Amino acid sequence: MTPLSLLLIVSSLWFTLGLFAVLTRRNAILILVGIELMLNAANLNFIAFWRYGPPDPDFTGPLFVLFSIAIAAAEAAVGLAIILMVFRHTRSTDLNRLDSLHG
Amino acid sequence: MTPLLILCPMMILAALGAVWLARPVHAALFLALALALTAVVYLAVGADFIGLVQFMVYVGAVAVLIVFSLLITRPGDEAEELLRRPRSWVTGLACTLPVFAVLVYAASRHTCLPDAAPENPSLSVESFGRVLFTTHAPAVLAVGVLLTAVMIGAALFAKEAHASSHTEPTRKPNTPGDS
Repeated sequence: MTPLSLLLIVSSLWFTLGLFAVLTRRNAILILVGIELMLNAANLNFIAFWRYGPPDPDFTGPLFVLFSIAIAAAEAAVGLAIILMVFRHTRSTDLNRLDSLHG
Repeated sequence: MTPLLILCPMMILAALGAVWLARPVHAALFLALALALTAVVYLAVGADFIGLVQFMVYVGAVAVLIVFSLLITRPGDEAEELLRRPRSWVTGLACTLPVFAVLVYAASRHTCLPDAAPENPSLSVESFGRVLFTTHAPAVLAVGVLLTAVMIGAALFAKEAHASSHTEPTRKPNTPGDS
């Protein structure tokens, strides 16, 4: 097995585990944990293809990862701020209890 | 290759811990471990700068932010989560296993790349910085604006709503029952 295949399979597994967490968890913060796992799986793919792919003098892979990390940090900050605001109103972060818009 | 053979199983185990464990703080700590291991993988494959950024931003900021949010919100006990698991896990597995199969199939078919391709050289910070601040300077500025907006927005979201509590005392004397 080549290093590229190994990293691609690990990132596939990470993405699947992140998706699984998003689908099965009910705590909003733990859903954010799953989203972070999925984002990191994509970053791992970028680095793996940059390192073991065709020659890339423009550093496209690491550049994507750098911007992706910045966006992910922004997403986590806003997401957690929204969750804290929701918690202040409902005293819960369980998404099953956030049904005030339910008809 | 040898460092990857050691690191990859650890990464998988750490991600499994983040998904499997019912106690939220333990899951968040396993996420921090998984992110730190990713940073080590980046260092091992030669992307030193990205590895350090990953370590500082993800482990130093995002993971700590998640742990602090869990401490502030005091999530309930894990008994309810454990009770709900069998049904939700069946649904989750039914949705995610096809995704995993497609991803592994796609990963095993990268025929455009020869197996014995020469590796790219390690990431030189000097040349990376030159590309970042010349060719991609507008993108760096855009990310700077985005992060500033996010910082202000997150502070506004997380701030206590004082405005409504200030207006309430002025309204009270007008209510009929007060006089």
